[in-house]
Amino acid sequence: MHSHDFQIPIGPQHPALKEPESFLLTMHGEKITSMTVRLGYNHRGIEKACEAQSYIQDIYLIERVCGICSHSHATCFIQAIEEIAGLAVPKRALYIRTLIAELERVHSHLLWLGVAGHEIGFDTLLMYTWRDREVVMDILALLTGNRVNYSMNTIGGVRRDITAEQKQEILKATDTLEERTKYYIQIATEETTIIKRLSGVGMLLYDDAVNLGAVGPTARASGVDRDIRRDDPYAAYGELKFNVITDKHCDVYGRAVVRVLELMESYKIIRQVLADMPEGPITVKAPRKIPAGEALSRYEAPRGEDVHYVKANGTDRPERVKVRAPTLANVQVVAHMLKDRYLADMPIVIAAIDPCFSCTDRLTSLRDSDSGSKNYMTWPALRSYSIEWHRKQGIDFSDLNKKFKVPGN
Amino acid sequence: MSEEDNIKQQLTEKFAFLSEKITVKRARRIFADIPLANFPEVFDYAVKQLKFSILAAITGLDEGATLGFIYHIARENGIVLNLHTSTVKDKQAIKTVTGYFPAADAYERELVDLFGAQVEGLPQGNRYPLPDGWPANQFPLRKDWNVEMLDKKEVNKNA
Amino acid sequence: MANVLFNILIFPGFLFASVFSLTAEYVDRKLCAKLQNRVGPPWYQPLADFIKLLAKEDIVPQQADSTIFTLMPSIAFTATLTAFFCIPLWQTQSVYPFSSDLIVVLYLLTIPTLTFFLGGWYARSVFSMIGAARAIIQLFAYEIPLFLSILAPAMLAGTLSLSEMTVFYSHHPWLVLLNLMNFAIALVALLGKLEKTPFDIPEAETEIVAGTFTEYSGRLLAFFRIAIDMEMVAGSSLLAAVFLPFGFNLGPALGFILYLAKVLFVVALLSLARTIFARLRIDQMINLCWKYIAPAAFLLLVVDLIVKGFIVK
Repeated sequence: MHSHDFQIPIGPQHPALKEPESFLLTMHGEKITSMTVRLGYNHRGIEKACEAQSYIQDIYLIERVCGICSHSHATCFIQAIEEIAGLAVPKRALYIRTLIAELERVHSHLLWLGVAGHEIGFDTLLMYTWRDREVVMDILALLTGNRVNYSMNTIGGVRRDITAEQKQEILKATDTLEERTKYYIQIATEETTIIKRLSGVGMLLYDDAVNLGAVGPTARASGVDRDIRRDDPYAAYGELKFNVITDKHCDVYGRAVVRVLELMESYKIIRQVLADMPEGPITVKAPRKIPAGEALSRYEAPRGEDVHYVKANGTDRPERVKVRAPTLANVQVVAHMLKDRYLADMPIVIAAIDPCFSCTDRLTSLRDSDSGSKNYMTWPALRSYSIEWHRKQGIDFSDLNKKFKVPGN
Repeated sequence: MSEEDNIKQQLTEKFAFLSEKITVKRARRIFADIPLANFPEVFDYAVKQLKFSILAAITGLDEGATLGFIYHIARENGIVLNLHTSTVKDKQAIKTVTGYFPAADAYERELVDLFGAQVEGLPQGNRYPLPDGWPANQFPLRKDWNVEMLDKKEVNKNA
Repeated sequence: MANVLFNILIFPGFLFASVFSLTAEYVDRKLCAKLQNRVGPPWYQPLADFIKLLAKEDIVPQQADSTIFTLMPSIAFTATLTAFFCIPLWQTQSVYPFSSDLIVVLYLLTIPTLTFFLGGWYARSVFSMIGAARAIIQLFAYEIPLFLSILAPAMLAGTLSLSEMTVFYSHHPWLVLLNLMNFAIALVALLGKLEKTPFDIPEAETEIVAGTFTEYSGRLLAFFRIAIDMEMVAGSSLLAAVFLPFGFNLGPALGFILYLAKVLFVVALLSLARTIFARLRIDQMINLCWKYIAPAAFLLLVVDLIVKGFIVK
């Protein structure tokens, strides 16, 4: 380290990160000379927990690997189980899964666009996209009863059918969203401060993208033509027509373009699914115990390729569940993208892979509580400190719970 | 002959000992069981000659006396080759594949942290995914491990 | 004596400046919210924020230089408050006019940026030190265009006294049109001074948490915040006095309302800029200021000098 260099900790807690992860930047003035990534702050032991529960319980647990791409993980997991059990899932169920998957992609990409705007200090874009995202969130709530964690999947099909009225609602919403997306495409291509902040930032050349194993929109913006929906079709994707969007910019701007154009493809897919959806049952009966076997399932989540491996041992509980979320593949290219760049580019470069660290980590925090170390403050200690401090100021909060009945107290 | 069968044939022609060990479970899914001693050469052949150029994931398995490892490698067109090998617990080591796939770093650290696998040639770096203060010889994904085995005081001391 | 006390404490001093600053903050926030398709805060929100911050605990970091750290917010607050006494509000005269008060006002308005630098630097946290360094770099970028763009109308009027300038422009109202470009430049520079988007580089939250203000809390932060609001109002009043010098003979009531309208108009322009741009990088900001804005301001200064030489005798 040069004598003028200094280190900045970005995380575990930092306004640029929506989830706890740690990036240690070595800086030379405003320039980043090197960076180390420390992951694992969100590890919750989900893979271990899966082994102790039944398959049905696992679906709900796996769905909570991530909030934004809950349907992705659940579908990916269920596909593996269905393959092991040899279930012929009804076509209508596959179409419904595809529909939810694309609606999820729309909401995830709109969310990303807003976050990207916020990271470069353009909050207006954040407010606009998140307002429009409500449209798709409402549709998801209408179809599944939930804004996230849809719980649509069950082994052998889906849990809810789609009515003709709901179809109309989806078509209406798709039209609105398409119009709004066209407006964002215009902003992305015309607004100078956005182009200035995004172009040439976070460069990832084709060779590096392939070599470092980038996935999803991050890879596609470097010209890597890979999409699991086309290459290894699942659900109804084998029967649908859509383009895989790639871009040659290789920078954050390219990643924004890919995501915005993918939105347009998603609208196309949603319309096809609604038009071609066959009639019929939405589920087949699945056994409680899954025969011994193993399967690998791949899924193109909004952030890239999601991989689940399931090994069954003939009981009602899996022998092993392995989850590889897209962010784990992408987070490793961030250090490469940030080298010799400005500190100001850090938030947007990290955001540009659309990181989802909950997915990536899947530990309970073991810090403190009974350590007795003076550096820590337990929750009751913090609370009594606060009450004492306010009492010194002449405000007494100690009998607050008596005045206002707090549920559970 | 389908592409999957073709790959199977190429592998068995090159490595005779694999003849009974390769199964095509469904379209685009090939599973193969490879002895530890031959693993590097088979892996090299699959990546370089058979063009399985994408590392999708590495799965660790607790198989009782041994630890299993499945390397999920894929081709551009969606075919996935799942190469399984195993090591005797705490005795044998696997060789790193970071030379082929730099991204394998995270997957191999996961094997080290969660299964107590020994990986030869893994570069120095931060551990993943467990915290720095995690006690030695506690490997959460081993079947004989449960949360009660964790001494919380020790974890806090190290944190 | 009673008059002086009234000026300091009530008008245009402490009470008026504080209330008007909070109002301007409300206008800025509400307008921004409306432009961004949000509901925005209720009218008392800036005051509520201020009171809430006053009630919070003051934390001075152990490694910080506590004297400088605690002193800076009050210096920023006092400097901007003092500026009010030298800017003509609704009359052609400011409360305490003297020759060359324009220079004094410009320097008084520079002091807050220096306090941000010193406060951030002596907090000795990584984030606030980067923010402090950025604030001072930015100071050198916008200060020259700001000075030049205000100097040009002063040159045209042939005086460095703000009161005399307003008198001059009341007599030559058409000459105001000549300074419209300077107004635009001064607005951009004021955005830089107030550290508002696209120039909120010293406090870019997604990069350096809150920059200079990272370690500030409680009363100290409250005073820093109100100093920034006051700087916004003082800066806008200065721009209004220099670039919108009309309607000074309407009498106190109408004149006062006109003054409020002018300042809020400038504040509205600032909020508009805040909503339509993304934050620039520090190098992009310096490039913009030195390559385009400063030369343009210089050119306009030459134009004003030529006009003065040939037309205005």
